[in-house]
Amino acid sequence: MSSLRNAISRRAHKERAQPSSRKKFGLLEKHKDYTVRATVYHKKEETLRKLKEKAAFRNPDEFYFQMIKTRTVDGVHKPESRANKYTQEQLIEMKTQDIGYILQTLQREKKKIEKLTAVLHSVDNHPSTKHIYYAEDRQEARELQLQSSENRGPTPSDDIPHHIKRKVAASYRELEARKSRVNELEKIYADMSLKKELQKKGRKRKLHEDELKNPTSNPVYKWRSERKR
Amino acid sequence: MRPPRGRGGGGGFRGGRGGEGGFRGGRGGGDGGFRGGRGRGASRGGGGRGAPRGGGRGRGGGRGGGMKGGSKVVVEPHRHEGVFVAKGKEDALVTKNMVPGEAVYNEKRISVQNDDGTKVEYRVWNPFRSKLAAAILGGVDNIWIKPGAKVLYLGAASGTTVSHVSDVVGPTGVVYAVEFSHRSGRDLVNMAKKRTNVIPIIEDARHPAKYRMLVGMVDVIFSDVAQPDQARILALNASYFLKAGGHFVISIKANCIDSTVPAEAVFQSEVKKLQQEQFRPAEQVTLEPFERDHACVVGGYRMPKKQK
Repeated sequence: MSSLRNAISRRAHKERAQPSSRKKFGLLEKHKDYTVRATVYHKKEETLRKLKEKAAFRNPDEFYFQMIKTRTVDGVHKPESRANKYTQEQLIEMKTQDIGYILQTLQREKKKIEKLTAVLHSVDNHPSTKHIYYAEDRQEARELQLQSSENRGPTPSDDIPHHIKRKVAASYRELEARKSRVNELEKIYADMSLKKELQKKGRKRKLHEDELKNPTSNPVYKWRSERKR
Repeated sequence: MRPPRGRGGGGGFRGGRGGEGGFRGGRGGGDGGFRGGRGRGASRGGGGRGAPRGGGRGRGGGRGGGMKGGSKVVVEPHRHEGVFVAKGKEDALVTKNMVPGEAVYNEKRISVQNDDGTKVEYRVWNPFRSKLAAAILGGVDNIWIKPGAKVLYLGAASGTTVSHVSDVVGPTGVVYAVEFSHRSGRDLVNMAKKRTNVIPIIEDARHPAKYRMLVGMVDVIFSDVAQPDQARILALNASYFLKAGGHFVISIKANCIDSTVPAEAVFQSEVKKLQQEQFRPAEQVTLEPFERDHACVVGGYRMPKKQK
């Protein structure tokens, strides 16, 4: 039934706007705005009434622990301090709870890199590999040298359409981006796990620069060896 | 209001999965596309608001699958016969798949439509898993494995590289794949079931007499056994099966032979050993970005003396 009614287009309903002479009062308040405002007002009123009632019926001899736990400073009530309410283990947990996520992200990135490197072989340029030729005698060696110097030149494929070249380049860019991201994530992960270890029990000290066998800029700690049962 | 919306979302999701099916089908063959269509239907049945969206996604996925085989990738022959290079989203060494629609080790497949409308499927050859592919990318001059060649493959493992070698030699060639381990031999046999040119042999390569009745004379021996006495194993097999003037390709893992001396010295000593066994090494490449301390040596066997 309602669908039939919807079939006929009706005149658009327009709300009355704030008259221009009263523009300074903002948007024109409608009844639904008024109800919101009024309920809030009445709620506050009710709260005040209840508090007043409580104060009126207060027993002056009653004791609450809050009376001795907290105090007023210059007439202002100071609530209980919230600092140091966590245990050491909780603090460790809180500070390093992202470590699992970082590790997961790292592994995901590594997997993606593996997938990309499986199909990106940079076929055209592999100049770094060592290529050794074996020859029987001097003459053959000379021939081989001549041949190899001819062959050395890279063979760029010119007949590849432009849009495909662009695609290949984009793939390599993605691979590079992922590799750099893995580097960063690895750094973050190492940082976090070091922090976690440092917060645990166990005597340790930071090594001085002259104590390091292979110097790095990163801090190096040494734990006192402890007998474990 | 809430519950139907949730259900609609579910329908949309299912539609998406159907689309993925279509995508995969588009790559593999004709029937997968139909599956994509069914996924779309299911999403419509789900009703609610999400359904049309799910359907749209399904259709989009199917279209993507169709485009995949089109002009998005160019395949051109490599310097080595039977090996190709695919360029597109990937830049990879590929071989023409003998068994279209079938991957051996979950490698990526690329299908290309020819001008006359026939489809050819290629498989990506992962150099991180195959030393032969690494050697090709390393710039080796000759692999001697070409269409129609008869190849003896020592150390076939699960048959990942063997499958590519079988692609390269094609239906006119033969690959005899020798592997000692039963566990990986099982995968090898399963792979060989679908490739008629692969003959799997689950036997110790140290005792070629045990499988001499199965293997004829071959043109090339590829050896990837990673044993300290691999030169001897290669020589033994060559004496049985390799024709005079045939060729060998051996991959040497320095760590497996002597981990105390530098890799170059190990390669040198192995080449010396080969030279004593009537082999004539011609070239050697390191497999550097793909494998550490590996080398691939290629050469001939009982080569005819040069006339002066």
